[in-house]
Amino acid sequence: MGNKSEKAASFNKHFKERTNRQHALSFASCAHCGMCNESCHYYLATGDPEMTPAAKMDKIRRVFKRQHDWLGKIVPGWVGAREMMTDEDLEELKDVVFGSCTGCRRCTLSCPFGVDTAILVGLARGCLVDEGVAPEGVLTTMKDQWETGNQMAVTQEDYLETLEWLEEELQSELDDPDAKIPVDKEGADFVYVVNPREIKYSPLSLTAAAKIFHVAGLNWTMGSEGWDNTNFGLFSGKPDLGGHMGNLAYEHARKLGVDKMVISECGHGLRSTKWEAPNWGKANPLPFEIISILELMVDLINTGKIVLDPSKNPHPVTYHDPCNLSRSAGITEEPRFCLKRACSDFREMTPNRADSFCCTGGGGAMSMAEYSKKRLSVSKIKADQITDTGAGIVSTACHNCQDGLTDLIRHHQLKYDFGDKKPKQLKVLNVCEVVADAIVIPKDLPKIKRLPREVTALKTILCVDDSPDILKYLQVLLEDNGYKVVTAHDGIDGMAKAKAHKPDLITLDITMPGKSGVQVYQELRATEDLADIPVFIVTGQVDFRQLMYQKKVQAPEGFMTKPIDEKVFLMTLERLLEQSERQMATV
Amino acid sequence: MNYLTWSELSPFTQMLMNQLHYGALLFMILAYTVKIWQLLNKPAAGEGTPPRGEHRKAIRYAYMTLAMPWEVEGQKTHWIRYIEFALFHIAMATGIGFAFITPILHEAMKTPFIAIPFQVVFVIGFIAGFSRLTRRVFKKEMRVISSPDDYFCLVLLSVWMASGILAAPLTNATWLFVFFLLATFFLVYVPFSKISHYVYWAFIRFYVGKHFGHRGVYPKKGTIT
Repeated sequence: MGNKSEKAASFNKHFKERTNRQHALSFASCAHCGMCNESCHYYLATGDPEMTPAAKMDKIRRVFKRQHDWLGKIVPGWVGAREMMTDEDLEELKDVVFGSCTGCRRCTLSCPFGVDTAILVGLARGCLVDEGVAPEGVLTTMKDQWETGNQMAVTQEDYLETLEWLEEELQSELDDPDAKIPVDKEGADFVYVVNPREIKYSPLSLTAAAKIFHVAGLNWTMGSEGWDNTNFGLFSGKPDLGGHMGNLAYEHARKLGVDKMVISECGHGLRSTKWEAPNWGKANPLPFEIISILELMVDLINTGKIVLDPSKNPHPVTYHDPCNLSRSAGITEEPRFCLKRACSDFREMTPNRADSFCCTGGGGAMSMAEYSKKRLSVSKIKADQITDTGAGIVSTACHNCQDGLTDLIRHHQLKYDFGDKKPKQLKVLNVCEVVADAIVIPKDLPKIKRLPREVTALKTILCVDDSPDILKYLQVLLEDNGYKVVTAHDGIDGMAKAKAHKPDLITLDITMPGKSGVQVYQELRATEDLADIPVFIVTGQVDFRQLMYQKKVQAPEGFMTKPIDEKVFLMTLERLLEQSERQMATV
Repeated sequence: MNYLTWSELSPFTQMLMNQLHYGALLFMILAYTVKIWQLLNKPAAGEGTPPRGEHRKAIRYAYMTLAMPWEVEGQKTHWIRYIEFALFHIAMATGIGFAFITPILHEAMKTPFIAIPFQVVFVIGFIAGFSRLTRRVFKKEMRVISSPDDYFCLVLLSVWMASGILAAPLTNATWLFVFFLLATFFLVYVPFSKISHYVYWAFIRFYVGKHFGHRGVYPKKGTIT
């Protein structure tokens, strides 16, 4: 055998050191029977024999066999044993363990032995990460979690301001000044720990949760620290990061003296925080219980603390089981319990529960922009499952799934007629959003009424989009809401108008002829007098996620996917403008 | 029937059926002892969190799924392969049983009432083995995941079954010799080969049951359709 590259040798060394008993059993017991083939959406969608779980795992297994198998040490070729030799080998393995497996564990349950593909992938990912061979988005996000304590590098100031703003939104929606989103409240019964995506980009699920907690009269709080339930330790196969993230949350919960930690709807967030991180971070036993908001909602419904009116959600709803909840956390019945009571037409997706197919966005796939095309190309399995239900709304209990499903719904143009005879793309909602929509406000609470927002006139918004229809739509929508609007039909025009008008905010499409939205965005950030203008990405493409995760430049302040939801669009726009104003005032 | 007598067997066949054969068994046990010791020497990932489900029930379920094809998608969707798998493994166990019973009870086995059932099982085992080998050779998905050891084990076992068909009546010294020679080789080779999966199965199912039971995933609540 030739000389190994430095990275390959280091990979092999770490791999050998980290192989534990469960890894060894999963490596050694595979009989190559092929029973797992059809459990994997990558294989089902492509028919590529290299995409079967066993074939993918053999790319890792060969290293184990070379290091541990008796025949593998003497006659490696006889049992398919081979260590990593070159940097190219590592790159090839990267494409397998990051780009062709979401670690969903569907094959594990389909295997007569229970070969745990996810832990093998985790082992290989961890060793690759140590050599710097990993998708850029994963490495950047890991760095952010280490340095800032949350995956989107949200500053504490931004976080607290967002919570204040969301509290105002909640008060406005409920017409109730007592509706609060408390922070570090002493004596609270539980602390609510969220996904930074809810703070940075998609706050509707957080306001929905806050609405439920308020109506139920719960004594709760959010933490000023340790509030991120996501954990790139899981996606990167690095237990040290996993333990660190868990401990940040546990330490703050201990300080607050709460009885419970409630995890928002995030599949890997719940799995990491409840099941993995206490082991990784040696935090057992914890002085509080960790539960999912789904379990809490079941309790609230059962005890009559919230009452639901299913007629408020008349369109058919189906539920997608997130892998990390159904196959790694045992949560399958709680969301069904809630949805069956919150909507009038609940439809099961088949197969479901622990047999559900991955949304295609698991295992950190949403942060791996280089594999987006491949991810969408294998999404047909899930798309067909959804189509078969005939549902107009796909509910799920995970933000990664929400993004993955949104992408595939757009990719496959899955539409539903919501009543106006103009079929629109299927909606993807968290379970708590569906529940919050169905909630009956008790008589002693004021009726829901949306207060008029503060006058926001004279703010200038630059809308950059190559679609004349979208531009017109945004112009009318924004002008109707008191904004001054400047439009640009492509990236070059957008840059020119940004320089000329110095708008208060820019809405930016990604796919445009000439100069793409990504290029425009990077140019804006590099231009001194335009760098601080908040940018709101509004796109139908998945490429924008590289801006969120790879962060070659500061991440955009807001994003939303097309088709545009007016309510979410205006709400986000207002938040970004308010945040920007506050920052200007501080400067 | 012209049944063989012990004295009609060559001295080497006699040695093969006794000393060598049992020696190979001892070697296999020793090799597996070392293998299991090596395995258990590796640290196991522990679960320190409070359980959501019942460990014992889940471990029991994990072992029982092998006999519950409706619970495992791979087994349910490929039910012919599942039956083939079951028959193949029953035939292997029967072959091993035959190999260890014959040297002790050969006189009592000299009857068609015993020989024919053994032969039927060996025929089934041979057909199942050949079918598995064919699939491994001709299906692209199977070729991709197959090493020389995978092919060799199937050839070895299929030929062993074939020799068993002819050896079972205890009338042909040559086939009895071939059967025991293969059985002896099989016992020595098994610890080095993928056939060891049957030993690992007992361990991995324990950990799978414990892990998924701890989290309330096992026993599964859903159904595959």
